[in-house]
Amino acid sequence: MKGKDMGAPLLAARGLRLAFGGVKAADGIDLDVMPGEFLAIIGPNGAGKTTFINMATGYLRPQAGSIAYDGHSILGLAPRAIVRRGIARSFQLPQLFTEHTVLENAALAIAARTGLWSPLARLLRPGIRAEAMALLDRFGLGPLAGVRADALNEGARKLADIAMAVALQPRLLLMDEPTSGVATAEKMTVVETLVRVLRQAGVTAVFVEHDMEVVARFADRVAVWSQGRILALGPPEQVLADPVVRREVIGIEAGSGHA
Amino acid sequence: MAGWFSENGLLLGLALLDGLSYAALVFMVAVGLNLVFGVLRIVNVAHGSLFAIGAYTAASLGLFLSARGLPPAAGYAVLLLAAVLVGGVLGPVIERGVLRRVYGQEDVLQLLVTFALFMILEDVQKLIWGVQPLFHDAPMKFLGTVDVPFGEDVIPFTAYQIFVVPGVAVATLAGLAWFLRRTLTGRVIVAVTTDKEAATAMGIDAAKVTLLTFTFGAALAALGGALASPTTSLVPGVGAQTIVLSFAVVAIAGLGQIEGAALSALMIGMGRSIAVYFEPELEVVVPYLIMVAVLLVRPQGLFGVVETRRV
Repeated sequence: MKGKDMGAPLLAARGLRLAFGGVKAADGIDLDVMPGEFLAIIGPNGAGKTTFINMATGYLRPQAGSIAYDGHSILGLAPRAIVRRGIARSFQLPQLFTEHTVLENAALAIAARTGLWSPLARLLRPGIRAEAMALLDRFGLGPLAGVRADALNEGARKLADIAMAVALQPRLLLMDEPTSGVATAEKMTVVETLVRVLRQAGVTAVFVEHDMEVVARFADRVAVWSQGRILALGPPEQVLADPVVRREVIGIEAGSGHA
Repeated sequence: MAGWFSENGLLLGLALLDGLSYAALVFMVAVGLNLVFGVLRIVNVAHGSLFAIGAYTAASLGLFLSARGLPPAAGYAVLLLAAVLVGGVLGPVIERGVLRRVYGQEDVLQLLVTFALFMILEDVQKLIWGVQPLFHDAPMKFLGTVDVPFGEDVIPFTAYQIFVVPGVAVATLAGLAWFLRRTLTGRVIVAVTTDKEAATAMGIDAAKVTLLTFTFGAALAALGGALASPTTSLVPGVGAQTIVLSFAVVAIAGLGQIEGAALSALMIGMGRSIAVYFEPELEVVVPYLIMVAVLLVRPQGLFGVVETRRV
């Protein structure tokens, strides 16, 4: 399904604008995310990639433009309400609950989905525990279930973070640099694991990525961000070969050591 | 040394028993303060007012009901009722009406707002209860005294202060530890404390958690006050004294510590009490000397961990 038109977009952004002071973080963003695709967002730091994720998940409100999910506007909804509709996210720095074990983190996410308010119920009751373990096993994190989240290495932290997002059973997952901070040797394993799980679960994914090898291998389409605009959009083999993209974006990437 | 002990042993015993009871009360207030700070990230100066209002409410209710024939044993239920009333009414009013407006604002502004709230509540308290001492010790008298063996001496001490007050504090400590570590709602509170943004991203209603936690913390402070009410004459200013000591306890324990707060409350309670009996003029400074000594060695508190800030 590499970049083919699959009918109605799952997420449709039109004319998004947002400026912080004089900096235009979004300067007319139009983007359709199609059901089932893996869309990579690349671009230099400060281009507005994270701003887009923040707008799509309710953390920032655009000054102009519209965002629709599954045909309905989600503009102005609180992050919590957007999660409930099926859009989950992960942050650039894994936001695991460091006071909790990996299993408890996963269990909390499951509980967040199934209903939280039963004051004296135990968190790790059998149903939740079983689902949490099954989820961790899919991410290869089963052996780490009992470890406190702050004791994990970066690759496992990233996977645990995304496992928590998957526990919410989203249809769309927005990931901000899922491989940043992960050791090079570990990186491909991490991406392979998360792509496998997301594909199995039928989750549509948008991910911000600096590693062009990851982008070329795993993305169905690539959107190139530059100064709050989308500079290019298309299949990776086409976009990554674009001379303007190579000069404006990948050149900068290589220069800043991200490669 | 032996000579000193035979001369002062009784006094030391009294000081320790008094200190235990006082520590238990300070713990109740400090642990609520700590919990509230964890979730709201606001140092609530008005937390002491909730202690005071809890105490006044318990004493008034107790006087009112015993004048109408309430059996003395039911006085304990009145203490609990006062805490639930004060926490359940003032908690949501303060959180929704005032604090919610200053979340994420500058620390100085938050501090000024809760300080203003403290001043207002002090005056409200004077409006309702006046400035004359209020005294209702029926719940304490009901249990009488017990003889506590201490060395060769026997110290008669009120059973209420030895059993009820520390008992409630220990039950609070154990209950809270279990609640926060094992239950779903407890884990959600800890999650919001650790990272509100991530909790929101998971679909957790942080506003609801905040309201719940604040109300619970307020009820704990009020329960501390209610428990204290039979042991002392209530006068204006009782809230200020309590909040300052609770700050010292939280600073010594480190943020987010429950067992640590209990231990710190014991240090402060005992230290203050020993000062009261042996060097009364030092009563006011001893808790702060302990605090300063701890913070000089461990700025993050005895049990606190250095917090890493997310970028």
